[in-house]
Amino acid sequence: MNNLRTSKALKFVSYILFPVFVLLIGLSIFHLAFLDEYGNTGATKFIDTEMFSSDYVYYITDNIQNAYNQKNNGSRMFMQLEDVNGNEIYYLNRDYMYSYYNGINEYVDFIIIDKETNAIYTNMRSSDYNKEIENMKNATKYWNYDNGNIETNMEYINSNNIRYNSTYQYFVIDDVNSGESSTYAVDKAITGYTIYSRYNPDRTGGLTNYKIVEGIYEFCLKHKEMPIYILPISVIATFAIGIYLCWAIGHEKGKDEITLNYIDKIPYEILFLAWTILLTIFAAGAIECLHIANYITVIFAFVLYFICYIICAITAVSTIKRLKARKFIKSFLIYKVGKWMFDKLKKMFETIDEKTTENKRLFWYYLLFIIISVMLACLFYTGIAIILLIGFWIWAYYKLKKYIIGQEKIKNALKDIYEGKNDVKLNEEELTGVLKEMSVYVNDIASGFSNAIQESLKSERLKTELITNVSHDIKTPLTSIINYVDLLKKENIQGEKVKEYIEILDKKSQRLKKLTEDLVEASKVSSGNVKLNFESIAIKELFNQTIGEFKDRFEEKNLKIEVGMPEEDIKIKADSRYLYRIIENLFSNITKYALESSRVYIDVKEENRDSNNQKYINISIKNISKDKLNISSDELMQRFVRGDRSRYTEGSGLGLSIAKSLTELQGGKFDIIIDGDLFKVEIDWPISR
Amino acid sequence: MYNILVVDDDKEIVGAIEIYLKKEGYNILKAYNGEEALDIVNNNEIHLIILDIMMPKKDGLETLEEIRKDKTIPVILLSAKSEDYDKIGGLNSGADDYITKPFNPLELIARVNSSLRRYVSFGALEKEENGNIYKTGELVVDDDTKKVTVDGKEVKLTATEFNILKFLLANKGKVYSIPEIYENVWNEEGFGAENIIAVHIRHIREKIEINPKEPRYLKVIWGVGYKIENIK
Repeated sequence: MNNLRTSKALKFVSYILFPVFVLLIGLSIFHLAFLDEYGNTGATKFIDTEMFSSDYVYYITDNIQNAYNQKNNGSRMFMQLEDVNGNEIYYLNRDYMYSYYNGINEYVDFIIIDKETNAIYTNMRSSDYNKEIENMKNATKYWNYDNGNIETNMEYINSNNIRYNSTYQYFVIDDVNSGESSTYAVDKAITGYTIYSRYNPDRTGGLTNYKIVEGIYEFCLKHKEMPIYILPISVIATFAIGIYLCWAIGHEKGKDEITLNYIDKIPYEILFLAWTILLTIFAAGAIECLHIANYITVIFAFVLYFICYIICAITAVSTIKRLKARKFIKSFLIYKVGKWMFDKLKKMFETIDEKTTENKRLFWYYLLFIIISVMLACLFYTGIAIILLIGFWIWAYYKLKKYIIGQEKIKNALKDIYEGKNDVKLNEEELTGVLKEMSVYVNDIASGFSNAIQESLKSERLKTELITNVSHDIKTPLTSIINYVDLLKKENIQGEKVKEYIEILDKKSQRLKKLTEDLVEASKVSSGNVKLNFESIAIKELFNQTIGEFKDRFEEKNLKIEVGMPEEDIKIKADSRYLYRIIENLFSNITKYALESSRVYIDVKEENRDSNNQKYINISIKNISKDKLNISSDELMQRFVRGDRSRYTEGSGLGLSIAKSLTELQGGKFDIIIDGDLFKVEIDWPISR
Repeated sequence: MYNILVVDDDKEIVGAIEIYLKKEGYNILKAYNGEEALDIVNNNEIHLIILDIMMPKKDGLETLEEIRKDKTIPVILLSAKSEDYDKIGGLNSGADDYITKPFNPLELIARVNSSLRRYVSFGALEKEENGNIYKTGELVVDDDTKKVTVDGKEVKLTATEFNILKFLLANKGKVYSIPEIYENVWNEEGFGAENIIAVHIRHIREKIEINPKEPRYLKVIWGVGYKIENIK
């Protein structure tokens, strides 16, 4: 069942069959109506029917009228040709007549002779009209008239059925079957004409209307029984397919809900409008094509009708889907607009109740604004109201502008606080209402923020002081330890073990000393608690001095120093002692942790990478670590961390942290890059010129 | 036999200093706070005082102030306070030297010797500088004999080291960069040999300074150059 509902193929077939059956119903009804009208006459050919006869006589009488008008009223229905045998010849203007008579003009030849002037009115071209007149009677159908006498072989318009009513000046044709009469207006003038005419199927080689009509007529007569079973079948099939489609439309495989596509999202008014316009255009085109009615236009008409069907089908399917999805009403634009407005109004009224005073105020102000505007607008004709209204608007604008400017001030103050400025203060008196209130809060936050910074600086300073004091307290007993260990060493002690123990004590006490010193420095430096004394420093000189200081220690470890320096002398601003401390710490690390007999690269470059033309000196120091660096560069720069935690006893682990802090204190950038065993320090120092 | 007063509230430290200095042949007097120290100073002939700063009753700086009212005895401050401003403060209060705890015994001895020598031989040893003798503080370079003495003790320098030291001492107080030193000592432009000079200077420092990391005579101005401090 569900498969039936979701089957695409079945739906496609249904879409194709549905119009076919609808068409069949229409054709069957037409067929039945046709049979009802003409079915009992016994005629099997179209030219034998009353339909043909009445069209025929209508065409002839009309042309008599035309001939009369040409002579008496100066109309130009005929054009005059050259005389033949002394007669005036008038030829029917084909352009004018074309498609005017339901196509019968294509099959009828006529010669109308004005008895008075012997002028010939005709739609035939001939060099001998007398001979043509002679031949008329040999045609399948002919119809001649002279002075009230009708000579014809056509059943419905022979002298038994047709008569001329001279009082009212028309022909009356009696319908043999129904007993009804048709009338054809003709002028009294008909008495002045002799008429010859005939049916001529070869006249234009005819592929037009009449042939088609003839075909249909014959088909209908031949298959009289057809609609009797086609009609009920078609009706049942149409209903069945219709019901099936209504049931199945919108259902797709694997989906419980009705699937809507983009067409179903178009507001229904727009869809309906599009449907109306497109249908009108295409249907009108189709009707026009049928009117012109030759085979090509008929085919074209069918194409257009098919397009009409598609348009209708799309609209219908979308309508059904919307109805099924219960979104029909909702898909109206007017519904959406209405709902939006309703929601907004509802929300507006809801929020008035909320306890946000500003909201309330906004509502009442806005209402007041509208009321005053409307009131003034109503008084527009008084002239003064215009000025008042414009004045009111300007006043409202300035009021609003003042508010916005105040808002901007508060925003800027908040931005300053966010960016860490600690002297933010708003002038509360400049602002009014809620903005004033806000400015008070902003000022409170700003001062609180500034206090917090002071507090944190203070606590940082206290921490440094604490560390310094504690270190003093450690140093005093440490002095005794170091001194007495030293004294012990000088005693002439026997026993290797005791010597070894003293050695350990010596080493550890020295380390403790170093640690205390570094700890104080690290805490001072990281809290920024150092006084910097900036001076101009030649970077080349500094490195030469420093390398000189360390040369012996490098050589001890068989480290080869590769120095890359710029040609020119570059000077930077720095505190020379602290800058040396940075390099010293790094070099000292190298002597401790670099792989023996490896190379150490020291490169100094001038770089210009900032957009604001700030030049940097880039110092990079690279060495190969003797141990695996299983630690991140960030961790390394933290206090008390060494590359391999377990193995070293030298150093405090504060060296890199101190170097980093000192660099940053002086405005530089300190980075450690670890790549496998490659340990690289990058220092960027701004050059001030 | 010089009398040295050692003042510290930590008895073990005083004890250790006593051992070291006795070995050097000094007579030691001990005090454990400022008041005791003043007492001893007033009642004895003291040639040098080693004074701790942080002490109960009267701290080192107050004591120093008292002493300085009528005495010029050399005072070496000994303190756990190692900040620059502590040292400057101490020296400004009238101390002759400043040693931070924990100290290196050898350094202490060297400084004691140096201070004492300056105090005892003040005026008497004040030789006139002539063309061949260069001098700053207790550092003397004799170009004739090629002898260098610090605190009266001879120091062995290599020829290069001697030349560098002589050059700097001859222009004491002035800062010279490495290339300048090279040019002046070797009389030629020095390229590539820059850090050789630095190595020599470090060696000189190690030989003439009590604590090469805090040099008294041969100062390093990082990123600028070197100079010999002009000490009267």
